[in-house]
Amino acid sequence: MSEKRSFNPYLGWAIFAALLALFPLVASSGTLRIFIMAFYLAIFAMSWDFLSGRTGYVSFGHPFLIGIGSYASAILSYRYGVPLAVSIPAAVVITLVAGTLFFLPALRIRGSYFALVTLAFMEMTYRLTQVIRPDLTGGTRGMSGLPSITTGAFNNYYLALVLMLAIAVGLWALGRTRLGLALSAIGMDEDAVRGSGLDATKLKLFAFMTSALVAGIGGAFYTHYLQSIAPRALFDISFVFTIIVAVLIGGAGTIIGPIIGAFFLTFLLEYLRPVFPGTERYFIYGTIALLLYVYRPKGIISILEELWARWRGYEPKKAAVHG
Amino acid sequence: MAKLLEVQNVTKRFGGLVAVNHLNFHVEEGESLALIGPNGAGKTTAFRLVMGDYRPDTGSIVFKGEDISRQPTHARINRGLGRTYQVPRPFHGMSVADNIRVGMMPDHLWTMLRHGPDTEKERQIAARVGFKPGEELRGPGELSMGDLRKLELARALAAGPSVMLLDEVFAGLTVGEIALISDLLAEERKRGMTLIIVSHDLRSLGPLVDRAVVMSFGSVIAEGPFEAVMADTSVREAYLGT
Repeated sequence: MSEKRSFNPYLGWAIFAALLALFPLVASSGTLRIFIMAFYLAIFAMSWDFLSGRTGYVSFGHPFLIGIGSYASAILSYRYGVPLAVSIPAAVVITLVAGTLFFLPALRIRGSYFALVTLAFMEMTYRLTQVIRPDLTGGTRGMSGLPSITTGAFNNYYLALVLMLAIAVGLWALGRTRLGLALSAIGMDEDAVRGSGLDATKLKLFAFMTSALVAGIGGAFYTHYLQSIAPRALFDISFVFTIIVAVLIGGAGTIIGPIIGAFFLTFLLEYLRPVFPGTERYFIYGTIALLLYVYRPKGIISILEELWARWRGYEPKKAAVHG
Repeated sequence: MAKLLEVQNVTKRFGGLVAVNHLNFHVEEGESLALIGPNGAGKTTAFRLVMGDYRPDTGSIVFKGEDISRQPTHARINRGLGRTYQVPRPFHGMSVADNIRVGMMPDHLWTMLRHGPDTEKERQIAARVGFKPGEELRGPGELSMGDLRKLELARALAAGPSVMLLDEVFAGLTVGEIALISDLLAEERKRGMTLIIVSHDLRSLGPLVDRAVVMSFGSVIAEGPFEAVMADTSVREAYLGT
């Protein structure tokens, strides 16, 4: 491989981080708030993609995991006065443990059955929050006035940015290990992975726990950014689809793909709002998503890779699993 | 020679169909065994029972003196069984080297995380099955059927097996590719690898095996040296239906 063709991913991440770090110097607080939403959606999308994009186990119940993180930290801090420095890590651990216990039986089933079971978990959690201890969960109304980690768009921007970058780089580094390769192999042919001497169930459990960890972190931080929990919005199928569409638009099985997808989706919907204040903008968003799936099923990342390859004057790579 | 792998009185039913019926055969260390029979004889089911895709209804599978009948597939692979599929099943989004890398991986998460790949060994395995330098960077989509068979062999060899079960290893190959795969298998025999080969290409199979086991309707109908078995009347009847 010639020197000309090499792309330094470390340099890529550094440039990406530097650009985002400098952005608040020129942006309004309104724009920063849109970015914050994009950062959190990117975190949720990366979490979903690490399980579903890599291993092919499509989760429709990711808000279940995000919800555990959100509720756990909210209840601990708001109801019991636990400091956020304790409630957030505790919420992440609770997400990891509770999520693993709930999903463990689901890891033995495949395909649409797995998707349906995860969807059932989400619905079940929504119902449970209404009937089990509504004095703690806030019932159907949820909770508001939660303590915030920091105030203002500027501070929250950097908090969300650091969180997203740390998760992205962590998952990216994990994906580059042999373990990451094995997880990608599951998405291609699980039986052949077993036939290569690897315990696919153990690998899937690892992918799930990593995904739950990220969802728990994202959920806990996000709820304190919003300073509220609205169960109907959280445990909503449209929230699941927003996460999945972000991944698919950006490029599943990669790290940068879900980030690009989350940004694309957030900005598209936000900037269409003045032109189409009603639900028409979802029609445009759906059309764009559909066109991308049909013509670029590997997402925006594949377009960028091709442009990069052409610019450097070589054939785009065909076989790649590392994001 | 000691029996390395033994299928003992194994039966497997799928509803009312008895796919494998009181099946008995064994392979000795360093031996090359042909498992043959007409379509629907139960050869692939027998392979899948040995590899752990299916659990036997009755009987047991003994490998290196240990009953492995209840062990999952990955545990059997890690004990030294290797297999290739009737239809090659490469990881399509990966290069040849990455496919081999998956085959070489230890079944231990921390080791997979902590230690990087042994690229030199990957190249050696690729070369062992006949990939030229640089070809290990190609994706499965760029490979011919012969190369895909080589890739299957490479991925199986990467796990360091002592017995390899090769299902329809010549299927879909050109005459030249059959000769190439035959040479590779002959080379593996010289290295001391124990082989169990399923193939309908009896002419190519003959020179590669010491012994043959013939199956029909899920049971063994003949067993012995390849030439002798092929001359057996019951075998001819099973194949030709006369």
